[in-house]
Amino acid sequence: MKGDFHARVISNVSIARHVSDISLQLSLDAGEIDPKPGQFAHLSSGGVFLRRPISIAGFDKKNSRVRIIVRNAGIGSGAIASLIPGESIRMLIPLGSPYPLDLFAETAGVKKICLIAGGIGAAPLIFAADFMREFNEKKGKEIFSVESFIGFRDKISSFGLEEFERAGTARPVIGGLVTDALEKSLAHDRPDAILACGPEPMLRALQGIRGLNGIPSYVSLEAHMGCGVGACLVCSCRIATDSGHTDDDNVRYRRVCRDGPVFKLSEVVFG
Amino acid sequence: MMTLETELCGVLLKNPMIAASGTFGFGEEYSELYDISCWGAISVKGLTNRPRSGNPPHRIAETASGMLNSVGLENPGVDAFMRNELPRLARQGIPIIANVAGSTIDDYRESVGKLSDSPVSIIELNISCPNVREGGVQFGTSPERVREVTSAVRSCTSKPLMIKLSPNVSDISEIARAAEDAGADAISLINTITGMAIDAKTRRPILANVTGGLSGPAIKPVALRMVWQAAAAVSIPIVGMGGIMNADDVAQFMLAGARAVMIGTANIVDPMAGPRILAEIENFMQENEISDIRELVGGLRTS
Repeated sequence: MKGDFHARVISNVSIARHVSDISLQLSLDAGEIDPKPGQFAHLSSGGVFLRRPISIAGFDKKNSRVRIIVRNAGIGSGAIASLIPGESIRMLIPLGSPYPLDLFAETAGVKKICLIAGGIGAAPLIFAADFMREFNEKKGKEIFSVESFIGFRDKISSFGLEEFERAGTARPVIGGLVTDALEKSLAHDRPDAILACGPEPMLRALQGIRGLNGIPSYVSLEAHMGCGVGACLVCSCRIATDSGHTDDDNVRYRRVCRDGPVFKLSEVVFG
Repeated sequence: MMTLETELCGVLLKNPMIAASGTFGFGEEYSELYDISCWGAISVKGLTNRPRSGNPPHRIAETASGMLNSVGLENPGVDAFMRNELPRLARQGIPIIANVAGSTIDDYRESVGKLSDSPVSIIELNISCPNVREGGVQFGTSPERVREVTSAVRSCTSKPLMIKLSPNVSDISEIARAAEDAGADAISLINTITGMAIDAKTRRPILANVTGGLSGPAIKPVALRMVWQAAAAVSIPIVGMGGIMNADDVAQFMLAGARAVMIGTANIVDPMAGPRILAEIENFMQENEISDIRELVGGLRTS
């Protein structure tokens, strides 16, 4: 179930340079929603025409509270990042496909999940880390073993390390490439799956890591969006395919908002 | 007793709101949010005879009070539409309008021929898509070509035929008259206005297609003017659109001469625009003591 709800800002804390950690209270009619890590919300904001797609960084089901972590990257995201407690916005939630954590949870044995985050891309992965930690706590045993590589350009841009540490092992990379750190680690330790979110150069580099061959890897993509629900077809990305209606080179346009934002890393064709 | 009913070339609409082509897909996505049978009618995503994958991304740019798109008619083709989408849409119990684009007159004829045996209520001929090199707009910018494509399609269908006009013309009146003369049952206007956006830092266009179609409140004054001019030029029904965001906008278009309206970009900004604007129209009618919405049509007072 999804819907367009009123959301009232409960708190807004600056957690890194230009980055706000915001808690929003959904209106009562939002009782049925159950957002999953990887999904996003489409937020109206003052001063700009279109809504802004923002990753969900956490959800408190009992209190219908949504956590978002927003970087002030322009007028639209800036307006959201500077919301003050008491203010209300519209929020269409939850949208898009989640990381397949439910699927992993169903398979037997301990799952070694590796999270690869770059910059504000850490936001949905914080939700994933919390989700897996809570899942382990609920089951009373380790179902997910979580290792996170979290890259930031500098110290004052970094955030979320505590959440990643609480879920497992966290390897912050400040000013370097998370993909280099991952590549070294892969030499002696192979995870069962990779979940990634970050800037396109990071995702491209990830795609180039040979050691990842055979490891199911999922990335969450970013795109300028219109409707956010899959109707307007403006947020297309390129996905490799060998079927369907395509252009010449076996590339198919898929909607980031509805077919994604989570895709298999191996299928994404970067522009 | 209040009535919102209106009629379009023999097709009864329970209210004058039509979901505009290209912003509503085939209705499926919005049906997850509300009962889409609240619309007076739905005009589906522009269809071509063969499937099209559309233009490369980026396909959207935000503007002051509006947006540019350059989707480029991505669609599964008429056959797949009739097989996979239309049966579900037809069950909504409201008129379905098939928006048809093409690159040749034969394309248009073939697509419309197939749709003529389907449950669609109206064919909307898209001769105004600005985003494909040879996808319609070349038929929409001169009266001769409008006449040519309209009469060619007219002769292959008995379905009501509505021509969707481009605003990228110097004289909308003569274009509207050409459509009427060639046998159109209605016209809809305006499609998007060709525009572009530039990133000054990278010195590159924002849209991969360089140019795109401008929509939203930014184009409403132009749209109102063109609907008003077209209404003076023809006697067939007019469907007005361009930046409608609320009931007051709907009333403005109807006063300018529109028998019904299309709502497009509003759906993108507000996923609940359909039911919201419908409720607003009812309030507007009550507040202004309007019992029959048709009394607004062409009711502009200019003296």
